[in-house]
Amino acid sequence: MSHARPVVKPADDPAFKLPASLSALTLPMLGGGLLLLVAGWAVGNFMGNPRVGMSAYLTGFVYCLTLATGSLFFVLIQHLVRAGWSTVVRRIAELVMMMVIPLAILFLPILLTLFFSEGMLYRWDDPQFATDNHLPALAWAEKSRWLSQGWFAVRAIIYFAVWIVLALYFFRGSTQQDETGERAVTDRLQYWSGPATMAFCGVTSFAAFDWVMSLAPMWFSTMFGVYLFAGSVLATHCMLAVAAFVLQKKGAMRDEVTVEHYHDLAKLIFGFLLFWMYIAFSQYMLIWYGNIPEETEWIYHRQLGGWGTMTVALIFLHWMLPFLGLMSMYVRRRPGIVVFWAAYVLVMHFFDLFWIIMPEAAVASELPYSVQFVGVASAVMCALGMSALLTGLVLKVASGTKVVAVRDPRLAESMAFENV
Amino acid sequence: MSETNDKKVHGIAAEYTSVDTLMDACRRVRDAGYTKTDAFAPFAVHGIDKALGIKPTKLPWIVLVCGLTGTATGLLMQIWMNGIDYPYIISGKPFISLPAFIPVAFELTILFASFGAFFGMWALNGLPKFSNPVFTDPRFDRVTDDRFVLFIDSTDSRYDRAGVEKLLGDTGSEYITTVLEDDSPSKVPKFIFTTWIVVMALSIIPLLVVLKMRVTNSPLPRFHVFYDMDFSPSKDAQQSTTLFGDARAMRPDVPGTVARGQMDLNYQTGIDVEALAKIDSPRAAMLVRALDDAEAKEEAEAAAPAAATASVMETTPWLTDNPREISMETLQKGQEQFGIYCSVCHGMNGAGNGLVNRRAQKILAATWVPPSSLHQDSLYADKYPDGKLFNTISNGIRKMPGYAGQITTENRWAIVAYVRALQKSQNASIDLVPVAKRAAIEKRKAAVDKKLAEQAAAEKKAAEESAAKAAAEKKSST
Repeated sequence: MSHARPVVKPADDPAFKLPASLSALTLPMLGGGLLLLVAGWAVGNFMGNPRVGMSAYLTGFVYCLTLATGSLFFVLIQHLVRAGWSTVVRRIAELVMMMVIPLAILFLPILLTLFFSEGMLYRWDDPQFATDNHLPALAWAEKSRWLSQGWFAVRAIIYFAVWIVLALYFFRGSTQQDETGERAVTDRLQYWSGPATMAFCGVTSFAAFDWVMSLAPMWFSTMFGVYLFAGSVLATHCMLAVAAFVLQKKGAMRDEVTVEHYHDLAKLIFGFLLFWMYIAFSQYMLIWYGNIPEETEWIYHRQLGGWGTMTVALIFLHWMLPFLGLMSMYVRRRPGIVVFWAAYVLVMHFFDLFWIIMPEAAVASELPYSVQFVGVASAVMCALGMSALLTGLVLKVASGTKVVAVRDPRLAESMAFENV
Repeated sequence: MSETNDKKVHGIAAEYTSVDTLMDACRRVRDAGYTKTDAFAPFAVHGIDKALGIKPTKLPWIVLVCGLTGTATGLLMQIWMNGIDYPYIISGKPFISLPAFIPVAFELTILFASFGAFFGMWALNGLPKFSNPVFTDPRFDRVTDDRFVLFIDSTDSRYDRAGVEKLLGDTGSEYITTVLEDDSPSKVPKFIFTTWIVVMALSIIPLLVVLKMRVTNSPLPRFHVFYDMDFSPSKDAQQSTTLFGDARAMRPDVPGTVARGQMDLNYQTGIDVEALAKIDSPRAAMLVRALDDAEAKEEAEAAAPAAATASVMETTPWLTDNPREISMETLQKGQEQFGIYCSVCHGMNGAGNGLVNRRAQKILAATWVPPSSLHQDSLYADKYPDGKLFNTISNGIRKMPGYAGQITTENRWAIVAYVRALQKSQNASIDLVPVAKRAAIEKRKAAVDKKLAEQAAAEKKAAEESAAKAAAEKKSST
């Protein structure tokens, strides 16, 4: 369009390979991550109680899952809208979305506790739950039709099946194109991105209901799936910015990802920050206004004691601070600052999930404050451990392929992309 | 091109055939130090701002300020409307309730920011602008098609015609032209004004019709634009309705309803409930339940006659202080309520000789228990605490019914306060009255005494007369 169209390097250029300094981290990441994960669970399990240990594990699991499914969504959406700008960073998302396969294995401990130590994580799983909580028979009969062990397990299999099929299809298509450079592949992926997005949204929303919302069995919010999704997509854009930055620092795709791409990612982060707050507030306001006991319960628990302080802190730290921080275009065009905020929001995403999941463990166990601190340590270790473990796997997959979709027909367009 | 007439020069424009030559020219002109420049192209050219040295726009700041103004307007407007000017409880929320205000504040933020962006862009671009002098050259039309134009304004501080023409000539332009000020008439055509005046005149007609109708009479029935707003389907007191099974349009309170801010057991019962719980916990528990639950209330009422024996009344820890703040306002409220509810039996002065009592005495009602005079030692505060008096007003005593259903809790306490004042008034010495007012009171007292004496004399005389008359009649009949 304008001056000096950028030159697309040949597919075997070293700039598209995973830098050796990163692939060397594969084994340390896998081993260290696994150790940290187990240690985190053990801290919660033995210094707190089994529910704290499993809840911390779930926090780490959901943290990684939201990044993996968020990446899947990112890929689907880029195909759906035929986006040109994002081609240079799309491969990073394609690599991360493949983590839904190891995550299916990491889900097994949760499924096992469901069957072999009933009620340890999900209170509805406890056969005594309805009688202990004096639930009306009719209400419980309706609830337990959905919340039952077998049907829960079947649903989990369906969710993972959908994610894995979508991830494999889009990953294989893209890596295949690395070899052949066929335009038809892009057309085919575009064609399927519509139905894929619909399948993804349904599955992701129900997974949020099943795995996270059912921690408070009698509570319900139809907005909940969207709430987790908002945080998930936000965190994914942050992850892309951080990953691209690290890769560039280590020498890969230096000419491909430009300030324009950081600018665009920062715009999306900025937008999704507001979307997250918008959804969180929409959920809160309807519950607050309706003021019906079965709906207010969940929020009420998060207003007691230290949780109340965390709730207020979440608004300021997860939304207002980064929102104001990323408001200026000057900031959004400085990759260093963008990556700082992106990393910051990734931490806040953990805070958000901790705030969603851990109070349920505290409420159910009536933990003293000191044990709640164990919960923080345990959840942080689990999240770091599982993230490291999966980062190791991402590096493993990445070293067998390229870090950029090298023969994507829109690669040149993406490299030439300019915001202003 | 030479200047053949005295038209003012607006600037110099150069035409290019490709976007790259335009960009190069832009950079050279920028580097030469020109600032009042403009480039025209058939499509958006990325990077041209930089090439021309255009500074980043101030628009984001305008949008930010407008957005913040919107937030503040939204919040202040709602705080003023709902919290101060017309406090109105909605859904049991506080008057100033932040979560409820956020959606409107959010929308106004967006609205103001959008207006700021739209009109700020107009202002920064000098819009609306109906014509630009560059349009005078017919070649300029091709800039919407396949040509690119760079323009340097004659008001630029570095402008020098020969220099600019040379500079532009060096940039590879094939066509350089001097843009003259637009000399086409700038007056707005007359017909626009004519049309505008006609439209304005016509638009006054509806207003005139309304004004005329406001000052004239008409035999025709009124025209109702919104019929159901003029005739609301709402029900009046005592009417029936098909909406509810019991057909009552007036709905009773939901059982257990307590007026806002009055969920205070002591305030509701006149009893120190904590103290009661220590000596008679079942009764305290019953009182607590009665406030929550209609069934328990009935149960409590059924149990009341047995419970309220004299000994229980003696040992109950009644509140000795009126929980309402005693002010002139409270006393006036108490006086008003006493006048409405109490005085018919107890009399306006509390002496126990109200109209109902007088009538009952007159017709010699057999079951009538005369109301107590409030001015007796056993009813003074030291023997009959405020809480007990409150309880009597609320639940009744002997033949007196309870007034809890008619008089609000707040007003019952006001009556208690007023009764205390009334009792004091009957035993007050003149020394308590401010000196300035004593003379007036004494004068009034003398007048009342005199009138009473006259009345008594007249009654006595009338009685004597009637007795004499009766005696005379008796005498004549025998």
